[in-house]
Amino acid sequence: MSQPIIEIANLVKRYEMGDEEVFALQGVTLTIGRNEYVALMGPSGSGKSTLMNMLGCLDTPTSGSYLFTGENVSDMDDDDLAEIRNREIGFVFQTFNLLPRATALQNVELPLVYSGMAREQRMQRATEALTRVGLADRMDHKPNELSGGQRQRVAIARALVTSPSIILADEPTGNLDSKTGQDIMRLFGELWRGGNTVILVTHEEDIARHARRIIRLRDGRIESDEVNPHAPLA
Amino acid sequence: MNALESISIAIDAVRSQKLRSSLTLLSIGIGVFAIIASTSIMSTLQQAVNGQLADLGENSILIQRTPTINFGTNWAKMRKRKNITYAQAQQFRDRMTTTQLISISNESPAYTIKAGLESTNPDVSLIGIDDQYFAVNAITIGEGRSFIESEVILNRRAAIIGTDVVKALFGQGSALGKTITIKNQEFDVIGILESRGGVLGQSQDNRVLIPITVFNRYYTSEWDASVDISVKAESKLTLESTFDEAVGVMRALRSVKPWDENNFEIDTNDAITGQFSGFSSALLIVAWISGLGALVAAGIGIMNMMLVSVRERTREIGVRKALGARKRWIVRQFLIESITLCQLGGLTGMIGGLGSSWAVTEILRGTMPSLSYVMPWGTVVFSIVICTVIGIGFGLYPAWRAATLDPIEALRYE
Ligand SMILES: Nc1ncnc2c1ncn2[C@@H]1O[C@H](COP(=O)(O)OP(=O)(O)OP(=O)(O)O)[C@@H](O)[C@H]1O
Ligand SMILES: [Mg+2]
Repeated sequence: MSQPIIEIANLVKRYEMGDEEVFALQGVTLTIGRNEYVALMGPSGSGKSTLMNMLGCLDTPTSGSYLFTGENVSDMDDDDLAEIRNREIGFVFQTFNLLPRATALQNVELPLVYSGMAREQRMQRATEALTRVGLADRMDHKPNELSGGQRQRVAIARALVTSPSIILADEPTGNLDSKTGQDIMRLFGELWRGGNTVILVTHEEDIARHARRIIRLRDGRIESDEVNPHAPLA
Repeated sequence: MNALESISIAIDAVRSQKLRSSLTLLSIGIGVFAIIASTSIMSTLQQAVNGQLADLGENSILIQRTPTINFGTNWAKMRKRKNITYAQAQQFRDRMTTTQLISISNESPAYTIKAGLESTNPDVSLIGIDDQYFAVNAITIGEGRSFIESEVILNRRAAIIGTDVVKALFGQGSALGKTITIKNQEFDVIGILESRGGVLGQSQDNRVLIPITVFNRYYTSEWDASVDISVKAESKLTLESTFDEAVGVMRALRSVKPWDENNFEIDTNDAITGQFSGFSSALLIVAWISGLGALVAAGIGIMNMMLVSVRERTREIGVRKALGARKRWIVRQFLIESITLCQLGGLTGMIGGLGSSWAVTEILRGTMPSLSYVMPWGTVVFSIVICTVIGIGFGLYPAWRAATLDPIEALRYE
């Protein structure tokens, strides 16, 4: 394995609810390398989303260490984290989270706006990304003029437009019917084959089957971490 | 894209919360309106007054029982002052040595002037004057002549009338030599004043001048029997000594003790200009304070609107943060939005303020043809600046709230 992208050790996340403490993660150690394709599975409440948020630099751990491409994330302030998210991480959400009043193209451009790219270059990159997810003919549509599957494609285009080190998807097919879900999974497969690192959370074995490596969580701990025997060939 | 987007969001916010936002925008509008309208009207008037006072002639001094423009003076004290009687004024004229240009006059408002079947509105000023009046005041006769000394002494029933009165009674026809009636007394018209516009909406052409002796006999009652004395110094150089002499003579005539204040009003033209600007700046201060008060109230409304906007768009903020928006991007976005809101309100107030001050000018122009509208560019710029400042000042807290939202909680917000 080349230089790992993600190295976490003894990661703990504690939430305080009044005088009650909830340990969403209780000591997770994990290494993920470049161009891996990982599915995170586990029962509801097992800490999958918490771990994803941590990996995506949206949240910081209560204790433990997190090195992202060798840099220590625990020491960073909000703006540093924002910059890492902008540059290195592409998010795909279960509920798409597109800006309702912006067109598909403007939605995809948004991360480039925040990275300070010039307008023309931005348009070009966003157009390329939308073409890649098969939406070249829907660029000027607003989200409410698109189907669920198309919205998720826009979201994926937005996630990959910055050429991030990893793409994180928390139940990306959760709001889609199974056929559309399989289409989206094929798209993730293509991205992975194209050299991207993909980490996704899912409940469904059918979805997880697309990944090369399956990590199962239970009660905030890693229960198993194995290569997926059913994975389609690269 | 981002600034334009923020502006269109602000406009959408106005549309979607019509009542609340129109109230907020209205109060910004009122604030800007008060500031713009008052400044604009005052500078228009100031310009007119300056012109008119310059017209009244240089180096002149006005002596009256009480001041022309009264603002914040002690009324109780004023009321106790004895009248400047015609006899006293004549004594004053006789004792003055530094100048011979002294005129005694008295004015009484609201007369109806008749000629045959025609009559004017009951708003004509009647002024009793002496033969020096035109020499001292820079008022000129357009047609005909002034009174001579004997006409004043012998109570001659003659009148010099303003152009407004001519128009009302004789239309386009000539007035010279005609007879007019003022409260049952008949007068021959011997002169017509040159038209000269007005001050503070009061026409200076809507007046009739008659000998002060006649005026005193028929048209004064106890309370306004005090006369005005105009004194013109021979030159700028003698203005001060004439002023000092006038003060001394008046004090002697009115038996003012050396340690007491003057019990009459004596002012130069400059001082009267000063009084007007004192009056107008007091008015401006009141208008600006209430305008700024309205703006601060509006600012609190803006803050409230922005807080609602931040709450409603919590999820969107979460998405933006997840995509890598730094704090200052979010702050910037919401500030642009609140500035846009303020400018929208400010624009309405500005249009209202400019429109109504223009309308007021047009109305005043009916009596003051010399008036020209003064566009208050400085104040327009000031309003834009103040709206921006308020947008920033009151938008900062909501913007900061948005920028410091926790991204995960924001994304999870329903
Ligand atoms: N902000 C929070 N405050 C308190 N407790 C929290 C918070 N976020 C998560 N938790 C708790 O942490 C635990 C893990 O939550 P997490 O959302 O990571 O589960 P998950 O595996 O994603 O579940 P699901 O499959 O239902 O999405 C849960 O017990 C949850 O109640
Ligand atoms: Mg979850």
